[in-house]
Amino acid sequence: MTVDSAMSTTTVTKTAEKNGYVRQSDDGIPPGWSYNPATWRQRLPIVGLAVIGFLIASYLTLYQLEILPTVWEPFFGDGTRTILNSWVSTVLPVPDAALGAFGYLIDAVTGVVGGTKRWRTMPWIVVIFGLAVGPLGAVSIMLVVFQPVLFHAWCTLCLASAVISILMIGPAMDEMLASLQYLKRVRQEGRSFWRAFWGLES
Amino acid sequence: MDRAMVARVVNVLLGIWLMAAPNLLGYGTPASTNDRIVGPLIITFATVAMWEATRSVRWANLPLGLWLLLAPWLLGYTSTALINSMAVGLVVVLLSLVHGEISGRYGGGWRSLVQSN
Repeated sequence: MTVDSAMSTTTVTKTAEKNGYVRQSDDGIPPGWSYNPATWRQRLPIVGLAVIGFLIASYLTLYQLEILPTVWEPFFGDGTRTILNSWVSTVLPVPDAALGAFGYLIDAVTGVVGGTKRWRTMPWIVVIFGLAVGPLGAVSIMLVVFQPVLFHAWCTLCLASAVISILMIGPAMDEMLASLQYLKRVRQEGRSFWRAFWGLES
Repeated sequence: MDRAMVARVVNVLLGIWLMAAPNLLGYGTPASTNDRIVGPLIITFATVAMWEATRSVRWANLPLGLWLLLAPWLLGYTSTALINSMAVGLVVVLLSLVHGEISGRYGGGWRSLVQSN
């Protein structure tokens, strides 16, 4: 190998690393990052939280649908019953806990789908994952405010669900950041944003 | 635990305290309503700011802490609620300023998305 070709190889590699999409046999670490946010080690804890949240919300839904006659409340007496039968909980055609369960299900599914380089190979699923945790957390916190302010009651499992929903926000965001940075690089290259978004080229 | 984590955890505990304080200290509206709204918000922002990639969310607790300092004078609190709000507000403000160490690298972070380069 001549010095010239060695140098040009280095240049190509560096450009490719900077662009972050040509490294096919790499470790999946985004350019400028110290770790890969899409590894299972990063994602499984969030998926675990989503599954727990889904189970809690499903249980509360069963009570709201009157399939279960009673509901568990260790601390606040009639609190959970008061909250789950309040007008806020029943203002929609479906019980509010059912919406929560649906949100957790989306989080769990979009957390699992895709390989360990999905910030680059499936940006769309990472973006849905990142966006899904936001509204779920926001609605959960709004309901936590409503409990004492509107109904003078606390609901233990509703509080547990809210804690889970806000715990998922932070760890889901790093992967979304990696995907958005990748999409920005693609657009700056003048390549198709949407093809990259749907993972049609990587 | 590093400095930033201590700051976030203490703010979470203060948020929980705000939610419980109206019952434990026995004060009513408007202070109780305000604290039961602000408490969960402080918990949320402090929790999200525990992760390095979303550390900047700590800033959201700065206006909330300032509001706790201001609210007693605007809304007319009893003395117990006033002292509680001022004390909690002061600590929340100070802790929201703690950035702490960032050990990982994030490709320029969220700022890189709006920078043109």
